[in-house]
Amino acid sequence: MVNPILLIAVPLGLGFIIPLLGLIWEKPTRYVPAAAMVFNLAASLLLLPKVLQRPWVVETAGLPPPFSIHLVAGPLGVGLSLLIALVGLLVAIYAIGYVREGPVAKYHSLYLFLLTGATGMVLTADLFNLFVFFEILCISSYALVAYHGDRAGTESSAKYLIQGAIGSSLVLIGIGFVYGLFGTLSMADIARNIDSVSPMKLFLPMAFLITGFGVEAAVLPLNAWLPDAHSSAPSSISAILSGIAIKAGLYAVARVLFTIYGADTIALLVLVIGILTLLVGEMSAFSQNNIKRLLAYSSIGQIGLIVFALGLASALGVQGALFLVVSHALAKSLLFLSVGYMIYRTGSMEISSLYGMGRRMPVSALCFTIGAFSLVGLPPFIGFPAKFTVIMAALERADPLFTALVGVVLVGTVVEGAYFFRIVQGLHFRPPPESATPARADQEEAPVSALVPICLLAALIVAVGVYPSVLTHYLGPAARDLLDKAAYIHHVLGP
Amino acid sequence: MLPTTILIVAFGSAGFVYLAGRVHARVRDTLAVLSSLVLVGLIGLGYGAWREVVYVPDFLGLELVLRLNLLAWFFAITVAAVVSLSTIFSLSYMRRKESANFHYSATLAVEGAMLGTVFAGDLLSFFIFWEIMSWSAYLLISCNRGRALEAGLKYIIMSLVGSCAMLIGLLAMYSGLGVLSIPLVAEGMQAASPGFVLLVLLTFGLGFGIKSAMVPLHTWLPDAHSEAASPFSAVLSGVLIKMGIYGFVLLMYVVVGLKLLLGVGAGWLTFRHILCWLGAITVVVPTFIAVLQSDAKRLLAWSSIGQIGYIILGLSFGTSLAFAGAIFHALNHALCKSLLFLAVGAVEHNTGGVRDLNDLGGLAKRMPVTFACALLAGLGLIGIPLTSGFVPKWLIYRSLIEDGYPFLALAALIGTWGAILYVYKLLHNIFLGQLPEKHREVRRAPLSMRIPILLLGLGILVFGVVPGIPLRAVQDIGHTFGLAQLKVTLWGLGSEAGALNMLNICLAVVIAFAAAFLLLRLGAKGRAVDQEDSYAAGSAVPVGRYHYTVDFYGPLSRMISPYLRDRADEFYYWLAARGREIADLTRKVYTGYAGTYVLYIVSFLAALIFLQLVWHIW
Repeated sequence: MVNPILLIAVPLGLGFIIPLLGLIWEKPTRYVPAAAMVFNLAASLLLLPKVLQRPWVVETAGLPPPFSIHLVAGPLGVGLSLLIALVGLLVAIYAIGYVREGPVAKYHSLYLFLLTGATGMVLTADLFNLFVFFEILCISSYALVAYHGDRAGTESSAKYLIQGAIGSSLVLIGIGFVYGLFGTLSMADIARNIDSVSPMKLFLPMAFLITGFGVEAAVLPLNAWLPDAHSSAPSSISAILSGIAIKAGLYAVARVLFTIYGADTIALLVLVIGILTLLVGEMSAFSQNNIKRLLAYSSIGQIGLIVFALGLASALGVQGALFLVVSHALAKSLLFLSVGYMIYRTGSMEISSLYGMGRRMPVSALCFTIGAFSLVGLPPFIGFPAKFTVIMAALERADPLFTALVGVVLVGTVVEGAYFFRIVQGLHFRPPPESATPARADQEEAPVSALVPICLLAALIVAVGVYPSVLTHYLGPAARDLLDKAAYIHHVLGP
Repeated sequence: MLPTTILIVAFGSAGFVYLAGRVHARVRDTLAVLSSLVLVGLIGLGYGAWREVVYVPDFLGLELVLRLNLLAWFFAITVAAVVSLSTIFSLSYMRRKESANFHYSATLAVEGAMLGTVFAGDLLSFFIFWEIMSWSAYLLISCNRGRALEAGLKYIIMSLVGSCAMLIGLLAMYSGLGVLSIPLVAEGMQAASPGFVLLVLLTFGLGFGIKSAMVPLHTWLPDAHSEAASPFSAVLSGVLIKMGIYGFVLLMYVVVGLKLLLGVGAGWLTFRHILCWLGAITVVVPTFIAVLQSDAKRLLAWSSIGQIGYIILGLSFGTSLAFAGAIFHALNHALCKSLLFLAVGAVEHNTGGVRDLNDLGGLAKRMPVTFACALLAGLGLIGIPLTSGFVPKWLIYRSLIEDGYPFLALAALIGTWGAILYVYKLLHNIFLGQLPEKHREVRRAPLSMRIPILLLGLGILVFGVVPGIPLRAVQDIGHTFGLAQLKVTLWGLGSEAGALNMLNICLAVVIAFAAAFLLLRLGAKGRAVDQEDSYAAGSAVPVGRYHYTVDFYGPLSRMISPYLRDRADEFYYWLAARGREIADLTRKVYTGYAGTYVLYIVSFLAALIFLQLVWHIW
């Protein structure tokens, strides 16, 4: 059986090999990330049935927990690493053809680091180690946002860097507090002893950790970097940032809240933050003219919905949140990827310049439509069962307040529908702008290396939308992994 | 397995038709027509059958069920028949149009979704198919481009609002009752609290009201129905809005149940009363707005809203007479309105896209079949005897008067007067009067257009003369809901509900016609005149200088138009504009200046700590 540590070691190692390989022969470097992700995908798939029965605790220095750094490959960790590997693989395939100019070897190396960071975050059981992987993720994404080296990219990367750095330092301060209080950094050990400290003392590190991780998780009002960064990065990077990177930040927040603190009491606050994030995200997206900014704002909206679901703090709520994580990861990366070549062909990110693309790039436009419908939550796409689960969880309370909150959430959905339907119409049914130069028909559609991941993502969205039970079997245990604090402590530290 | 097979055929052929279109247009056309006819046949086979099939055993822990019963069958056969005729009509209408591939395939998909909606045996499948129907219809409306884009957007956003409301009702039901299968939900609802019943009625009612275009939720319809491609307008007006009616039937008579429904509310302010008054407003106001229209398809669209009003009026009473009237009228309206849309489509096709009533005229001799059938359908809308419109309207009037609602009956009557006006305007301005110079070359409609129009006309006539055929099915449906049985005979109704025998009426009409004919024959001999040899106010009209049809009903419209502003539409636009302003203000949160952003982060942390210090949130 594969050791879960390889899920981190293989991409990290390959990430370091790429620059060396690039010195000798640059061409093959672009296949390395895909190869690494194939490995991760296969390994996660192999691990998943096993960890569903019992989480696998990996000791790295021969000492049992709580000493030394260790990994916990539970249903949630392996499930998320599977998602990361899947999306990572598809985006890596896309990037083979898409990333041609600039320091290509560095791109691929940084890309692998980013995925390593995300995978490490979801697998680690140590708070400081979580921070380390978090930094790996963040730093590589700062660099990747500025990959084009143009003004917009550099500027938004700098803004991202400033905010990200503040977030990271807050996390670090929070970890310092925690270490001072408990003398340990093992999350299970902290969770076990959490009641021994007064709530006032405990709250301060929590506030720091939540705010710090919250910057990457893009909750309101910590998400101002996101629209800039996601829109000026190369489309493949936007896809991975929106699909994976924010989810990693969100994972960190959820781990801290649920597993370490078991904070049911502030769930209502989380809920309200979620709703605000959702509404502000969707409303900002509403009258955007720049397609990538619009998609970025829509990511904020979706994150808000996920946070709302987490804030319900029930088994079904968390399950719905995880369902949304999967659905948004697939749909948003699909949208960014399919729009990538449209932007490349027209040379503009204005929505109006994409009019009539349905004729020029039929497959991409069709897949964009599938992704957009899925985000709105229309059946038979994956977004429908995801949103359905979340709303089911909210109405499970049978509380008029929650019914009203669901009403507010659905207002967000209507706004989301309004802008996505407008774009879909533009793509398929509006005449192309005057300036569009019709090139030869066979040059128009995206190349095969882009169509393969796009079509696979679209197929996945439809398949899971029609048979959501393939996913729900794993989401239940994963939600319990996050919520059931006692079981987590038991698994890591033993009885 | 029958319902599953039907759905597989519908959705499968939607895919294949698109692929076939990539190969050859003729293959596509044949396949589309064949599969829509096969669907009619398959559904026809299911008459009287009662089936229940689990087609997805585990969707989020729920069973998805399809069921076939008489109610579902009645709506399904109407849907299939209208869609297949519309597909045949499309053969010439969509020829050489670039979006033809998409048109055929999406029409079949919409049909599949509508069939799924009526076959759904649990509310989750109902919702799923409902949503698929909404978005596929949106794509199909938008596919006509131009002004259809905005109409499609308006339609889908309003639909989305409706389905969000339905989703709340659906999941509130699930969390309250723990089941979604329709019979079990109906059982559970009997023990539910009045507040809960009201929540269910309101949320679902919003969704169904929007889809069936009940005032004040109707505003998407005039745009969408008039801007869509004509064959699809026929489907939209003929059957798609009937899905809202189907929803109302399901909600009021099955899920909530009559006994409970009549108990919602107190005094005069009951759900039923509100619904029937909304129905009355839906009859009167849109009918007169229809009279003012000068676009043929817009006129028909507004008239659809008015006719839907009758159906809602009938449904809200809950007596067997009114219910039979409502469901029969749904069928009647499906036949008449799809025929009229197809007829207008044929005119549009033959004149090169003209549907402005000020620009047409005198086409009766050029397109005699279309004219005759459109006349029949117009009479059906009004409710003239010997068309299928007579019996349902008779039933609705009768139950309004019998139950003692003279004002509602008056409203219904006013609606009929309005219908006479707009039907006359439509028929006159297109088919009668002078033939404008530019339409002199117009030829009769192609065969593939005449066949569906003829078949629909035949249906109107047959169901008008022999109303017992549909009435029997309708009264059996009503019986399953616990409504009293009517004495249906082949020619009408038995005695105790007030006898109605079409045979006598038929005879009377024949005798009257014969008498008139004889009288004319015995009187002065007729003189055949040319189409231009007509006169106005005693003096001959110079050909091509003056056109009757321009500013038809001028004085009337100057009189009533100030009272007929569509305030609901204005309100929604106002709401959307305010929403956009708020959205633009919200966007200013992201200033683009890194300093502000840092401030946000620090203040968030400070706010958290502040909250804890003051309120001890943790």
